[in-house]
Amino acid sequence: MEKYFDSSYIWGAFPALIPFLKVTFMVAGFSVLFGTLFGLVLAVAKIGGNLFFKKLANGYTTILRCTPSIVLLFLVYYGIPAIGNNLGIDLNHIDKAIFVVVAFSLQFAAIMSEVIRSAYESIDKGQYEAGVSVGLSPFQVYRRIIFPQALVVAIPNFGNGVISLLQEGALAYTIGLIDVVGKAELIIASNYQTHALEIYLALAVIYWVLSIIIEQFFLKLERVFGRGKRSISAA
Amino acid sequence: MSDGLNYKFLWETFFVALSGVPITLLVTAVALAIALPAGFLLAISRINKIPILYRLAQAYVSFVRGTPIIIQIFIVYSSVPLLLDLFFKKYSIGIHVYDVNPIWYAFIVFSLNTTAILIEVFRSAINTVDKGQLEAAQSVGLTNFQAYRRIIIPQTLVVSMPNICTATVNLIKATSLGYAMSLQEITLKAKVAANVGYNYVEAYLDIFLVYLILCSVVEYGFKLYEKRLSRYKLTVA
Repeated sequence: MEKYFDSSYIWGAFPALIPFLKVTFMVAGFSVLFGTLFGLVLAVAKIGGNLFFKKLANGYTTILRCTPSIVLLFLVYYGIPAIGNNLGIDLNHIDKAIFVVVAFSLQFAAIMSEVIRSAYESIDKGQYEAGVSVGLSPFQVYRRIIFPQALVVAIPNFGNGVISLLQEGALAYTIGLIDVVGKAELIIASNYQTHALEIYLALAVIYWVLSIIIEQFFLKLERVFGRGKRSISAA
Repeated sequence: MSDGLNYKFLWETFFVALSGVPITLLVTAVALAIALPAGFLLAISRINKIPILYRLAQAYVSFVRGTPIIIQIFIVYSSVPLLLDLFFKKYSIGIHVYDVNPIWYAFIVFSLNTTAILIEVFRSAINTVDKGQLEAAQSVGLTNFQAYRRIIIPQTLVVSMPNICTATVNLIKATSLGYAMSLQEITLKAKVAANVGYNYVEAYLDIFLVYLILCSVVEYGFKLYEKRLSRYKLTVA
């Protein structure tokens, strides 16, 4: 080998890797969607009066918070077909992306339930009472008063959740999904394990740029939705 | 594939997974021991705006938080040693990179990673301490160092304790990726056991249980400590 580190490999890797971002985005997008929906259900259970559902939702959150993503991913990857097997359904040949989406939705739901709950609880209860007292229906109060304010509180945490989901999605290559990381591994293998550093650096740069873009996007979003917000210092 | 769980394997492998706990805890402890002071110092440099250090810390935090840990592991564990090895061979320096215990790479990756997270934790915590307190301390004749040691740091610790707890739990979880650098921790030990009879579901259930116990204990410990710390905190109510 004449050159240990060849930066041209970094530039060469971008066009090869970027098309595979499609898979990464798809998996992350579906996980965010399903995770948010499930997280909403969990948050309602936590906020609502039923003690059993509350305990159940809190227990779920605690357990998922203690589970490393890689362990959850493999539990889903090996566990779901095994359960299917016992029920007499063959699930061994479904798309790997589905396992990834299931695993990360389960995890994202735990994060989202806390985000939604804390955003909801940050709104003073008096506002609900005030809304009802001037003749709004409970639904109207939620739609016009509680939700817009809670949204502003939730946006930064939601953004952080999305960024960490995107990064943990990098583990999907471990079950053989060819996303951007999986492709990088293939490129390195086809180079006979040489110039791995350059490919990984390209990969790191792609993730870095994505994170910055998502971060900025949520900052903008926060500013747009928080326009009517006045804080004590501004008064 | 057999029907149902192999309970015998489940039981035996639980202890195999458990035997990885000391390594996991060692990596966590070393990473925290490095990251706590480093994170705090860099947080202060960010707040006091020592320009060069501040910019470097900012770029560092942004990079580490913006890239998946697994890629950081790839870079530190699989790529850099290859280059170092070639470099040492070329100049016939007698260091054999591949003989190095992977735990050293684990120390490097996880302390770099945790430092970046703790910088942000401490920065936001220091910001919650009113600036007037520093000025008050200076006005009664304390030096900057004394003011930080006796007034700012204790309050910062109380405020940041929940976030330090979260960071610790995340760190413990992240060490599960140590298997990618053949670190003999919980995940790798159980994975190796699983390969014998293809009992993957059982092995991952065991890993899951061990992490659940470990994290619950850590969270409980932090809760107790937080309670103790909060005794010193005076509130208006």
